[in-house]
Amino acid sequence: MNQGNKLLNVEKLNVCYGKLAVVFDVSVNINAGEVVFLVGRNGAGKTTLLRTIAGFLQPASGEIEFNGKNLNKTGAYKTARMGLKYIHQDKQVFGDLTIRENLELSSYATKDYDWDPVFKMFPKLNTIIERKAGNLSGGEKQMLLIAMAMIGKPALVMLDEPTEGLAPHVIKDLAAIFKEISRTTTLFIVEQNLPLIASIADRVYCMKEGKVVNEITTREQISSMHFEQYL
Amino acid sequence: METWFTAVIYGLSTSGILFLVSLALSIGYGLMRIVNMEAMLYYSFGAYVTYSIVSMTGSFILGAIGATVIGGILGFVVETTLLRKVYHRNMMFTMVVTFSVFMIGIGVIQFIYGLDPKPLASPTSAIIRFMNVQIPLYRLIIIGLAVVAYILIQLLMNKTITGKALRAGIENRENVEGLGVNINRIFTTTFVIASAFAGLGGALNAPLVMVGPYMGFDMLLTAFITVILGGLGSIKGTMVAALILGQVVSVGGTIWAPLAFVGPFIVMFITILIRPTGLYGVKGTAFGFND
Amino acid sequence: MKLKNLEFLGPVFIIAGLLVSRYLFPNKITFFTEISIYTIYVMGNNILMGYMGYTSFGQPFYLSCGAYSAAIYLAYIGGNVFVAIFVAFLVGLLLSFILGPSLMRLKGSYFTLINASLCAIGVFMFERLLIDITNGNDGLWYRSNMHKTPLLDIRMPQNYFFFILIVLLAALYLYRKIDRSALGTVLKAASTNPRKMRFLGYNVFRIRWMAFTISVVFSTIAGALYSVNFGFVNPSLGENSRAIEVLLATLIGGIGTVYGPFFGALGFLGMKDFVSSFLSRWEFVVGIMTLIVLFKFNRGLWGMIQDAGSFLADTGRKFKNNSVKTAEK
Repeated sequence: MNQGNKLLNVEKLNVCYGKLAVVFDVSVNINAGEVVFLVGRNGAGKTTLLRTIAGFLQPASGEIEFNGKNLNKTGAYKTARMGLKYIHQDKQVFGDLTIRENLELSSYATKDYDWDPVFKMFPKLNTIIERKAGNLSGGEKQMLLIAMAMIGKPALVMLDEPTEGLAPHVIKDLAAIFKEISRTTTLFIVEQNLPLIASIADRVYCMKEGKVVNEITTREQISSMHFEQYL
Repeated sequence: METWFTAVIYGLSTSGILFLVSLALSIGYGLMRIVNMEAMLYYSFGAYVTYSIVSMTGSFILGAIGATVIGGILGFVVETTLLRKVYHRNMMFTMVVTFSVFMIGIGVIQFIYGLDPKPLASPTSAIIRFMNVQIPLYRLIIIGLAVVAYILIQLLMNKTITGKALRAGIENRENVEGLGVNINRIFTTTFVIASAFAGLGGALNAPLVMVGPYMGFDMLLTAFITVILGGLGSIKGTMVAALILGQVVSVGGTIWAPLAFVGPFIVMFITILIRPTGLYGVKGTAFGFND
Repeated sequence: MKLKNLEFLGPVFIIAGLLVSRYLFPNKITFFTEISIYTIYVMGNNILMGYMGYTSFGQPFYLSCGAYSAAIYLAYIGGNVFVAIFVAFLVGLLLSFILGPSLMRLKGSYFTLINASLCAIGVFMFERLLIDITNGNDGLWYRSNMHKTPLLDIRMPQNYFFFILIVLLAALYLYRKIDRSALGTVLKAASTNPRKMRFLGYNVFRIRWMAFTISVVFSTIAGALYSVNFGFVNPSLGENSRAIEVLLATLIGGIGTVYGPFFGALGFLGMKDFVSSFLSRWEFVVGIMTLIVLFKFNRGLWGMIQDAGSFLADTGRKFKNNSVKTAEK
């Protein structure tokens, strides 16, 4: 993977709900192959930023560029097909459908029917493939969601608080999985879990009250959890 | 005894029509969170188109096919030109919008066909005799067609990827989009199918009721009651509710005539008071619980 | 400044406007009577729609209940018109007492649909169940039963018009008072965030029930005024398809405002009068109009008047400022 290429470039983005602005002049850029984290308190505008990039919200102004293409007016499903996936915070899988059907749905959307890499990453999913996704544990749901996102071999996956509400040993597993994924895929993760960030982050953006207030780029600062003040 | 048996069969045919007509409402709310009152237009237009085709060609089968097609076309036009613009608005707004469309449609019907009800003869007057009971063949045909429609829809929902995407979309629309599925197209497809069924329902009901401009109103509330009782977005629920209401109307009406009219409303009041999500509804997807 | 004092006279202006119009167009008196009655009806709906955020497809039901209660009194029991209207008032209270507790617990669209069902049930009741009393579709006639009233014989259309104006004036002031009172504010607040209002210690349910009562009573009284006006009722007054008319009138006027209902009634009935002179398919026009108002015109006539007013005030102020500046120079 050629590191250093600008994969996602967000320039002076403003997002409003009606008349209420929630994201102000945010600029973020992510290079191919990186693992970038976004930290900040609740209500700092992290989720709004991700949802706007993913195409669920329209920016009021600013530019979103992905792989050299402008995403400003691209709808969510087109963004996903272009290789930019977004995993919601709420860990909602389609509970009424089996795991197989959940995966099928993702394959149908991206026309990628090759599930081997996914099963290699999550062997467990293959063993319970006919089970209804609604009956899975929180960790299993998160794994299924990541598996669904990985189908179609996206260039960039954005995750919104993937470890929220999960048991510590599951979080440890997830850290390993993220490391594994990051070899082929760029990751942009909103997270509150400091040890996880410290262990795998290449860069950290800190958001406060709708603005990016700091960008931490060196490993030393990251491993010293320099960004703790923003949580 | 014979009276009751006949009442049950008649009730089943009512259920069949109710099921066909209510699907559009159930799917409209289940997936897009809109209360699409204009669905009854597809039903009324279906009945009128059947009337026109039958008076031109004499063939009821052609009429029913025409009604199905017209229902689908109308559904397509309304969904793509109007409903898509109001999905994100609040439910009160969409209700008034779709109700207005319904009124416009009634106006159009009046322009074309006038105010007088149009009678339509039953396509077959054959009577089936079964254990001393005489049952019109036409009623049985309706029941048969409704069963076929139910099976088709179940196959669509459970065996095709479109159906799976639709079920997923009923649970969470955004997540389906996030996977890269064009949920709007899937919704349009489903909506067109549901509208076509409503058109067919109109065709089948045309010989049983007077075809009049306001026939949609008579059906609107009963169809809503079906959907509320069954639970929104649940095909199975719609079917079960249609079965129950058909019997309430038919058997209830045999016991005490006004029940044929008031019975469904009583069922609705009880449902809303005891179980607002309906028989098979998912919690949080009842009317008015998300707006 | 002075504008605020003028605002207090708003209802008087409306009444004066109606009076002047009545003498300018003497042959249109029934039209002005109808506008005044319709205003009261629209006010009832506006409380639900504009203040509480509830869209009811069942207003014709309350209207016809009022009309029929007055009509039945006049046809069978007595001849006093005022008593007939009072009966409708009592029926309104009774309806709200019975229906309010369950209806006010419902959310959004269930409320709409239940009201629509009430409409259907109402028509069924007046057309078939009570056919021995109401004569079904033939309607009930009782004009000859109405007694002469003291002071002003309101059986005469021109006198009835004055009576209606007095009622309207009272209704407008009451309505204005509701809008100004805590009730109006709390209702509006509760429609956007009922939970917060509950935390603040308001009994949202009771407040809504009260507002619902006012709304129902306004509708039943409007119904009674109608039935006295015509001396005749039939079940079509309460038909489901007419539910949208009052919604449209409310929207045309501008929802959630004090004077919106009057301008709504004026705009709606004026349009109806104009359209029906060359078009008999009324539903079509109503539907199209509603869509236009909803999408392009959502502040209504009163909103437009307010905009024009503030625009004029602004330009006036600018002009004044400019002239002051030029004078300084």
